[in-house]
Amino acid sequence: MKPSLIIDHSFGEAYAKRLGVAPWRGNLPGPKLEEWRFTPLRSLAKIAFTPATDDVSVDAVPRAVPLIAGAVRLVLVNGAYRKDLSSADPGKGVELSHGKVAAKDGSSLVALNAAYAPSSLALHVAGAAKKIVHIVSISAAGSEPTALHPRITVTAEAGSSVTLVESHVGLPGETYFSNPVASITVGEGATVRRYVSVDEDSAAFHLATSLVKVAGGGTYEAFHLGLGGALTRQEIRVALTGENANVRLNGAYALSGASHHDFTTVMDHIVPNCASSQVFKGVVDGESHGVYQGRIHVARDAQKTDARQVHKALFLARGPAIDCKPELEIYADDVQCAHGAATGEIDPDHLFYLAARGIDAETARSLLVEGFLADAVNEISAEPVREQFAADIARWLKARQ
Amino acid sequence: MAVTRETAAAVRDVEQYKYGFVTDIESDKAPKGLSEDIIRFISAKKNEPEWMLEWRLKAYNYWLTLADEEPTWAKLHFPKIDYQASYYYAAPKREKLASLDEVDPKLLETYKKLGIPLLEQQMLAGVAVDAVFDSVSVATTYKKKLEEMGVIFMPISEALHKHPELVKKYLGSVVPYSDNFYATLNCAVFTDGSFVYIPKGLRCPMELSTYFRINEKNTGQFERTLIIADEGSYVSYLEGCTAPQRDENQLHAAVVELIALDDAEIKYSTVQNWYPGDADGKGGIFNFVTKRGACRGKNSKIMWTQVETGSAITWKYPSCILQGDNSVGEFYSVAITNNRQQADTGTKMIHLGKGTRSKIISKGISAGRAENTYRGLVRIGAKADKARNYTQCDSLLIGDKCGAHTVPYIESRNPTAQTEHEAATSKISDDQLFYCLQRGMTQEEAVSLIVNGFCKEVLQTLPMEFAVEAQKLVGISLEGSVG
Repeated sequence: MKPSLIIDHSFGEAYAKRLGVAPWRGNLPGPKLEEWRFTPLRSLAKIAFTPATDDVSVDAVPRAVPLIAGAVRLVLVNGAYRKDLSSADPGKGVELSHGKVAAKDGSSLVALNAAYAPSSLALHVAGAAKKIVHIVSISAAGSEPTALHPRITVTAEAGSSVTLVESHVGLPGETYFSNPVASITVGEGATVRRYVSVDEDSAAFHLATSLVKVAGGGTYEAFHLGLGGALTRQEIRVALTGENANVRLNGAYALSGASHHDFTTVMDHIVPNCASSQVFKGVVDGESHGVYQGRIHVARDAQKTDARQVHKALFLARGPAIDCKPELEIYADDVQCAHGAATGEIDPDHLFYLAARGIDAETARSLLVEGFLADAVNEISAEPVREQFAADIARWLKARQ
Repeated sequence: MAVTRETAAAVRDVEQYKYGFVTDIESDKAPKGLSEDIIRFISAKKNEPEWMLEWRLKAYNYWLTLADEEPTWAKLHFPKIDYQASYYYAAPKREKLASLDEVDPKLLETYKKLGIPLLEQQMLAGVAVDAVFDSVSVATTYKKKLEEMGVIFMPISEALHKHPELVKKYLGSVVPYSDNFYATLNCAVFTDGSFVYIPKGLRCPMELSTYFRINEKNTGQFERTLIIADEGSYVSYLEGCTAPQRDENQLHAAVVELIALDDAEIKYSTVQNWYPGDADGKGGIFNFVTKRGACRGKNSKIMWTQVETGSAITWKYPSCILQGDNSVGEFYSVAITNNRQQADTGTKMIHLGKGTRSKIISKGISAGRAENTYRGLVRIGAKADKARNYTQCDSLLIGDKCGAHTVPYIESRNPTAQTEHEAATSKISDDQLFYCLQRGMTQEEAVSLIVNGFCKEVLQTLPMEFAVEAQKLVGISLEGSVG
């Protein structure tokens, strides 16, 4: 990899000293790295962040975080587990523990997380978990720009199943940089459903990495929602390591103001007979910037792969930008791989159709946007979560009116 | 699966390169390597005006600063090129020819083997040929007839003397000297190429065509082509390439610039069949080409069609800058890679004007151990209201040792613009094969039929003369591919 990097970041000596750990010697990814061409980190690198400490007083979960019916709630504040804010029992089949974070290779952001994460919230799933596990990650900066490095590890044993919801939110105050890493291991025949919502403060940075491994016969279903933040990126790297693994990775973003949101996905088909599908949809308003780059990699041995990917984005105004790069990298011949991408604005014919039925323009636009995003949101199979995410989008639509 | 395996096995040992021969003609060569002196030598040889030499030197000095900037982003693997180990100027001995009769008989023989009977060109109505043999144009036909109509069609070295104002105005205006590593090198050392100017309102009555051929051993070919279509004119330009077989890799870095003014249309078609190297990947042409057209005027149109079957390495992105309102850019491509060939090719459509439209149809076929990548950019500027793009990229894999990749970039800054992209990758389905076999076709015929059908959308955009050659090429690359 070409070392084209931003050198002057604030995560070196002084930062490490305040945490009392060895300093991270890496570099933030620079704009010349192909995977970061649409999401430059110049603005982030200019800010001197201090490490998040646990002496911030947060005594309640922000009200904006939804209560999901029948879910058990686990709360992280600045990456540290807060038992006092969490539900007592994660429920049968799920074991909760905190471990040291293992240094992992991968991107420099993962290494940065490994260097400074206080501990890892680890879920061990052995059977069929009855309750939805709702992880709430709260960023609280206080009076100084703060960086935090939450780490979540989920291990689903063979044959087990679990549904996870993650809400990433911030408290008002100084700007912050959240650098969460989630490692998810889906065992043989196991099912993990994971629904992530990122609704950060409008001045906040959020660069999340999900590293997912799916073993033979395993199912991984995920939905990622991006609703805001100054600079947000959700990078999801999935490796299908066993035959008959099945991955459904979907997402949506709705951006206004000067928000920048980046979905980067890598679907790595290593073995034969696996299937993956991706549906990503986005709407952009104001001066916002939506990015989708998805790569499907099919290794030489991964015959009979069925991999699909769609990204569609809708402009709601003059001013936003959309960059899209759906990529196929295929080394096996007996495969079915396809991708599609489209950008445009609301079809005036559709507006006319609704206007002719007496629906005012603003309502009509909202209806059409909701309908547009519904293609992706409807992929969520857990009903209470689907309803909640649809409501979050409706709230976003209402706020922009 | 057996069918696929057989196909793959056979495709691997397809195609003895049928144009692999070396013509023995004495060359007038500059010393090996690249330096300011060589550039002065080339410029002096061509008797160029001072400003041209200055431009070349400016490019050369800029190129020196790019030493570490040789593009590495393409999905291509090749040994580092030693730019000092190449000859930058080689011309056949006898340059000025009064008539075709004076053309070296050996040269004519070469063309004959290539299927370009130059002496019969006059009878083959509709095609005027400006044959570039190595770096210097040796014979130009039909010139007179075109001249009468006001069409300028001549080697660019000649145009520098006869129409310096046109060359000076447009050369480097689409691909500036600082554009990219290979284009910059071309600016410094280009030896010759074609120059075309179509006057206002004229529909060029015949297809203009140039056959290039790399002949002199170790000679990098650096052609420079410049085509200007003035208001309301139309021209169709054909480019075809074949090269003799040899073991050392040959460098080729051409630049093609097209300029279409108001209501003008340029159709540029290429069939590229340079030596691809042998089955083990030894030898073959390294082809780094910068081709770009500017739709400067309103309602102008540029259409690129390419059939790429040759070269060991293909690095080529014929592009359109759609500046004029309602201008149109089209790109049709078939890229076939076999054995150890590598192709990274595609297009760029830059929408700047209102109501601009672009269409991209790309068909990639990968066999043997080849790598075939489509890489394309569609960029919609903030002012490109109602711009429209449609992109379709299909890949076909023959055999399980090859790769097919699709890397599209879509960057939209205008809400009223619409972009669409779709891509699919698959193999020849057993059902299709079975259907054909059941109707009494041999497997070979069936594969050829299916692949030709796969490419049809692109092949049918070629002018007649080329369509035949292209279909043959597709056929050749599949010949004997089945049991």
